[in-house]
Amino acid sequence: MSVRKSATASVRRVATLASTTARPTTERERERRRIAVLCLPFFALAIVAGFVPLAMLVRISLAEDTIWMEGWSLEAWETLATTPEYWRVAWNTLWFVGLATGVSVALGVAVAHALEKYDLPAERVVVAAVSFPIALPGIIVAYLIVVLLGRQGLVTNAVAVATGGAPLDLASATAITGLFLGFVYSLLPRATMVLRGTYAEINAQAEEAARALGASRWRTFYHVTLPEIRPGIVAAVILTFRSGLAIFGTVLILQSHRVITLQIHNEMSVGSYNPDVAAAIGLVYVVFIVAFTFVGLRFVENDAVEI
Amino acid sequence: MTGPTESDENGGDPTSAPGSERVGPRPDGGATEAATGEEWSRSGTALSTAVGRPLLVSVVAIVVAFLTVPVIVTFVSSFAQSAAGVVPRGFVTFEHWRQVLGFGDHGVQANAIPGLAFSLAIATGGMLLNVIIGVPVAYALARYDFYARDWVNTFAILPLVPGLILGIAFVQTYPEHGRSALGLIAGYCLLKSPYMVLTVQSSFQSMDLVRLEESARSLGASWPRAFLTIVVPHAKRGIVAGCIITWTLAAAEFNFTYMVASGSPDPFAVFLYRNISNATHLQSAAAVSVYFVIVVAAILVLQLLGKRGFSTAHQ
Repeated sequence: MSVRKSATASVRRVATLASTTARPTTERERERRRIAVLCLPFFALAIVAGFVPLAMLVRISLAEDTIWMEGWSLEAWETLATTPEYWRVAWNTLWFVGLATGVSVALGVAVAHALEKYDLPAERVVVAAVSFPIALPGIIVAYLIVVLLGRQGLVTNAVAVATGGAPLDLASATAITGLFLGFVYSLLPRATMVLRGTYAEINAQAEEAARALGASRWRTFYHVTLPEIRPGIVAAVILTFRSGLAIFGTVLILQSHRVITLQIHNEMSVGSYNPDVAAAIGLVYVVFIVAFTFVGLRFVENDAVEI
Repeated sequence: MTGPTESDENGGDPTSAPGSERVGPRPDGGATEAATGEEWSRSGTALSTAVGRPLLVSVVAIVVAFLTVPVIVTFVSSFAQSAAGVVPRGFVTFEHWRQVLGFGDHGVQANAIPGLAFSLAIATGGMLLNVIIGVPVAYALARYDFYARDWVNTFAILPLVPGLILGIAFVQTYPEHGRSALGLIAGYCLLKSPYMVLTVQSSFQSMDLVRLEESARSLGASWPRAFLTIVVPHAKRGIVAGCIITWTLAAAEFNFTYMVASGSPDPFAVFLYRNISNATHLQSAAAVSVYFVIVVAAILVLQLLGKRGFSTAHQ
């Protein structure tokens, strides 16, 4: 009884809100209408191009007949939960992206620290070099790794000349190290950009005080600087881990490690066409990214993890 | 690593020398532990002081080399005739560029110009749609404080759905229209909208929006008029910067395109993919260099507008 009453009341409240937003009489209601009008185009597109397709993914993953979208079955989810191979892919993805994130953020801290604290020669060039790869898509990153480590690659040839080995044996672009460097190539610039923003805001006086009191550089960094940049590090980890999970082009070309994006692609390719399993993996993947981001955002400010 | 160098700025810093005398009572009355005093007194020659700076500088040098050398080598070798040796040889030829752009006799694609033009058109479409959806929502987030503002902000600035998943879902949801130019435009717009929202938002945040809007209103402008003719033109630089970023990134968006595009004509990202996976090494270099040229041009224009580059992180 009371539940129904409160439900009716809240429905009525929403209806009132909607009608006053549509036909406002007070300034406050007019402002609400403005906000609604301003947000409307974005959400119209997000619903048409984002939410509806995602809802469709749920339907596909539960369909018995994936061609005509008929019937209901939990088969895809059962396959996903019981096949050890999918668990292996998930584990592959998590450790690989986690490691790439760790390395990228550590290097990002080093670069941001050097840029902020030292008078480097050609600092602008360093900044430009570090931010340029943000605009490069995964397939180009894969090609650049081939340029470095492929059979005709620069590093391969240099090592071959130095050691007298054959370039063919030394090429590691399509080995897992090549893919790992490709991930770092994509993630390092993002981590560095976030950390540079954090470094610009820290209070240098505390560091100077620590140094003046005789603390060594490492002690100063560990006890004074690190606590100050910790939110930046968390933000950089969230951002790079999320971006790392979404990398697909690099994996598609180098093909040396089974990560989730490659698995989704394989499920959709002609030989083994399983759209329901692909949809189920995709949903797990999206839910994981959203949950990871929202849990991570509790530890940092919202705008620290921008792009 | 050359070991400790005397050029290190604090190698012989006099401030660390008196540390050994500070074992006595501290000025604030607290007792200083002898052990701490000893440890701190060594800081003049501490390992991190001697090694820290050279180590970090070499890390930066390695990172910069890792990020730039392949780009430069790719660009330079796209003009070379042969890549058979250790380094590319036989400069300068435009043959690979001609093949990539479709003027050569052979190549992965007979004629790449229609594909490139198609790609430029859909990237422009996505960019224009982004102005329509991104500028209003950025203004709402910067100007007003409302219920669920944080949620709207999070949805608007975080690319939560990866392009690959969106592409698959898109094709399955809209089987007839998903593979058309319209589908690509909508997808590009949604995937790149965070860049537009953030760029415009940061330019809105640097203005006194309340005063701007209220003075326009008090002079008799209606709210839509105040928004369209006063507020939006003030954010022109941010909008142009957002346009350049979203356009450049949409032009090369691969993950979504690969799942959605049907070919005929091939979008630029698929063209890059074919050239990278099927073409000769130097022709791939030329294809990738086409995109480098676009990015460098975009960055130069962004710098003219006062923005450092593609990053929207706080400066």
